[in-house]
Amino acid sequence: MTDRMTASRLTRRAFAAGSTAALGLALAPRARAQDKFPSRVVEVVTHAGVGGGTDITARMMMVHAAGVFQTEFAVVNKVGGSGAAALAYANSRPRDGYTILLITQTHLLTMLQGKAPVKYEEIVALARATDDPQVVMVGKNSPYKTAQDLLAAAKTKQLKFGATQLGGVDHLAIYGFAKKSGIQQPTAIPFRGGGDIVINTVGGNIDVGMLNYAEAESQIKAGDVRALLTLAPKRLGPLPDVPCSKDLGLDANYSTVRGFVALKGVPEENLKTLEQGLIKAMQGQMYASYIETSGQSPDSVVGRAAWQKQLDDFNAEGLDALKGLGLVK
Amino acid sequence: MDAFLAGMAILLDPYMLGVILAGTLLGIIVGALPGISGSTTTALLLPLTVTMTPGAALAFLGSIYCAANFGGSITAILINTPGDPSASATAFDGYPMAKRGEAGKALGISAISSAIGGIFSVFVLIVAAPLLARMAYEFGPPEYFGLAVFGLSMVAMIGGESQVKNLMSACLGVLLATVGLDLTTGVERFTFGVYSLSDGIEFVPVLIGLFAIAEMLEQATQHGVVQDYIRLTAVKLPTLADFRKCAKSIAISSGIGTFIGALPALGATTAAMICYNESKRWSKYKDEFGKGAIEGVAGPEAANNAAVGGAMVPTLALGIPGSTTTAIILAGLIVQGVRPGPHLFTEQPALLYIVFSSMLAANLLYLVLGLGAAKLFARLTLVPAAYLWPAVFVLSMVGAYAPNQSMSDIWTVLIFGVVGFLFRRYGFSPAPLIMGLVLGKMVEESLKQSLLIFDQNWLMFLTRPIVVGLFAVTLIGLFAPFLARAWTRTRKRWRTSPAGDLP
Repeated sequence: MTDRMTASRLTRRAFAAGSTAALGLALAPRARAQDKFPSRVVEVVTHAGVGGGTDITARMMMVHAAGVFQTEFAVVNKVGGSGAAALAYANSRPRDGYTILLITQTHLLTMLQGKAPVKYEEIVALARATDDPQVVMVGKNSPYKTAQDLLAAAKTKQLKFGATQLGGVDHLAIYGFAKKSGIQQPTAIPFRGGGDIVINTVGGNIDVGMLNYAEAESQIKAGDVRALLTLAPKRLGPLPDVPCSKDLGLDANYSTVRGFVALKGVPEENLKTLEQGLIKAMQGQMYASYIETSGQSPDSVVGRAAWQKQLDDFNAEGLDALKGLGLVK
Repeated sequence: MDAFLAGMAILLDPYMLGVILAGTLLGIIVGALPGISGSTTTALLLPLTVTMTPGAALAFLGSIYCAANFGGSITAILINTPGDPSASATAFDGYPMAKRGEAGKALGISAISSAIGGIFSVFVLIVAAPLLARMAYEFGPPEYFGLAVFGLSMVAMIGGESQVKNLMSACLGVLLATVGLDLTTGVERFTFGVYSLSDGIEFVPVLIGLFAIAEMLEQATQHGVVQDYIRLTAVKLPTLADFRKCAKSIAISSGIGTFIGALPALGATTAAMICYNESKRWSKYKDEFGKGAIEGVAGPEAANNAAVGGAMVPTLALGIPGSTTTAIILAGLIVQGVRPGPHLFTEQPALLYIVFSSMLAANLLYLVLGLGAAKLFARLTLVPAAYLWPAVFVLSMVGAYAPNQSMSDIWTVLIFGVVGFLFRRYGFSPAPLIMGLVLGKMVEESLKQSLLIFDQNWLMFLTRPIVVGLFAVTLIGLFAPFLARAWTRTRKRWRTSPAGDLP
C-alpha cells in the first residue's frame, strides 16, 4: 500500500465519521411541543478555563447533547475561587433547569470551607460524567515492590506523597488512605498537576505518587512507574494485576469525579428530563470513546441516585478530613 | 525510513496541505489578536478535530500552535501589544524599531528568526525526543528553583534607565505573583475575598494593560506633536547585514528555547524572556537594547518558536505536556485514541513523522506569509494615531474579556494601563515586572517544594549537580561586571601610575 493511499483512506474515513455524526443529528427526535423543556440554550457552568479537563468533559458531552435535547448547549467558564465563582454564577441564574453545573469534589470542599454563596444542601445531582479511581504508584527504583511492602514501611516511616494543591481532593485522599490503612500520615508535597507528580515519582523526589491511571499510563507501560494499589472496590481494566483496596481488605476508595448538578428549586420534571438526556448524550459514541481513551472507569456515567450518594459520602468524609488537617474549624 | 517518507508524503496530499494552510493562517491571525492566544484557539477547535483522522488533527493543531507564536510578534512590533504572551519580550525592542520607521525590518527578522527557531526545534524533536525527554525526569523542584533564580538574577541587566529601577520593578512583579491560592499551604493571599483573584493575577490582561493601554495613554499626551515617520523605510525588509548581526542571537536562542520548551513546567514566554537577556549578554551592541535593537527581536522570536518544538518533546515522548497548548493537543490525541509515550516512537512512527512534516511545513508557510505580508502589515504604523489607538483599545478590551468572560480582567487591563503609563513617565521598564510575575511564582513554589522534599534542610540543594551548576552560573552572572571593572581599574592603575597620578 502506498503512502498516498493511506492518507486518502484516512481522509475518507474522517469524512464518513463526520457525515454519520451529521445524520445522527438530523434523525434525532423532533421537539413535540412548543413549551417543552428545554426549548432554548442550556448553559453548562464549569470552574475550568477553556481547555481544562473539566471544560473538555463538558464539550465532549455536548457533542451529542444538541441532538438529544434538540437545543443548543453552551459552556460558561467561570474561573476562580476553586469553583466559588462558578457556584456564584449559577446561584445568580433562575432555577429553571437552563443552568447546570459540571462540578468536581473541589466545589464541595469550597462549600465546606464556607467560601461559596451556596450550601451543599442546595446541590441536586443529575448525572455523573467521569469517575477516575486514584492509584498508588511508585518509581521504578523504589524499594517497594508491592502494596504490602509499602504499607509495612509506611507504618514506621513518614513517606512523601505527591499531591495537587494542599487541602485539595488529592490531599484529602492521601489523608483518608493513611487513616484507613493505619500508616503514618505522610508528608504531602504539592505540585501543579498530575504530570509534575509523575515526573517526580520517576525522578525519586517523592516516595509515592497518588495519580489517576491515565496520568501515568505511558510511564507504567515503559516500566518507569509501578502501580501498587488501586483505591477502588474493583480492579481497573487496564491494571488487572494491581490489587484494589478490597483485595487488601481496606475500605479506602478514592477517585476523581466530575458530574452534572443543578441547584435546588428546578422543577422535578425538568430534572428528570436533564438526567435522562445527559445520560443519553453521554452514551453517544464520541463520549464513550473519550471515557475509554482518557482512562476513566467504564461505568463512569451513572444517574441521579448513585451520583447523589457519592456526593453525600464525599461531603461527609471531606468535612472530617478538613477538620483532621486543621483546614476547617 | 519508510515511516519518514510516509510522513513527508502527507505534504503531497491536498487535503493535508489544506489543513496545514488553514491552521497556519488561523494561527497567525489569532496569534496577532491580543487576548486570543493559540491555546484558547486550539481548545475551542478541539471538538472539531475529533472528526478528523489523528494525523490531520495533529497537523491542524500543530500548525496553529507554530503560527500563533509567530503571529504574536506582529502586534507586539506594530502597536506594542503582544498578541500572544510569548511575544512580550519581542515588544521591548520591536516597537521602538517600528516607531523609528523600521517596522518592516522588525517584522521580517521576526518571521525569519521564528522560522529558524521553529525548524531547529522540530529537528531536535525528531532526532532527540526520546533522549531529551528522559532529561525531564532529572528536573525536580530543586532544579526549577535553580533555573528560576538564574532567570531572576538577570533582571537588572534588561533595558531601562537604571538597575535600581529595574530591581524595584521586578520586586513589584514578584509581589504580584504572590496573589492567589498558595499551592503549598492552600491559603489565599491578597485576594480580599475576590474570586477572580484566587487563581492569581491573570497574565494576559496585565500584558495588555502594561503595553497597549499604557501606549495609548502615552500617545494621548503627545497630541499635537507631529509624528515624523521615515515613511519609505517602514516597508523595507531586513538585509543580509541585518541577518548576520542577528545570527548569533538566533543560534543561542534556538538552542536555549528548545531546551526550556522541553521542560514540562516552562513554556515559550519564559524561554523568550531568558533569551532576550541572553541575546543582550552576548551582543556587541548592548546599548541598543530597549531602544530598538534588531537582535532584541530576533532572540525572543527564535526562542518562543523553538520552545514549540521543545514543548512537543515531553508531550509526545512522555505523554506529559510541556505547555498549555500542548496539554490541549495531548487531550486531542487521547480523544483520537492515540496515547503518547515512549512506545509511540516504536509503535506509530508514521504519526510522529506527520507531526514533524506538518510542523516543518507550518514554519515554512508562515515564513513565506510573514515576509510577504510584512510590507502590508508595516503600513499600519503609518495610520494616524487618532484612528489607530482607539481601534487598539477596543480590540484590547474584547481580547481581555473573551477568554474568561470576566469583568475583573477588564479592570486588570485598565489598572495596569495606568501603572504602565506611570512606569514610562518615571523611567521604569515593564520588562522586569513581567519577569518577576512569570518567575516569582516559580521561585517561591519550587523553593517550598524543595524544602519539603529535603525535610527543610537547605544544604541539600548542594547535593544536586544541576542545581549547583545553575547557582554557579548565576553567581558568575551577578559578579562578573564587578570583577571586570576591578580588573580594568587595576590594569589602568598599573599603566598610569608610572607617569604620575592626579592628586
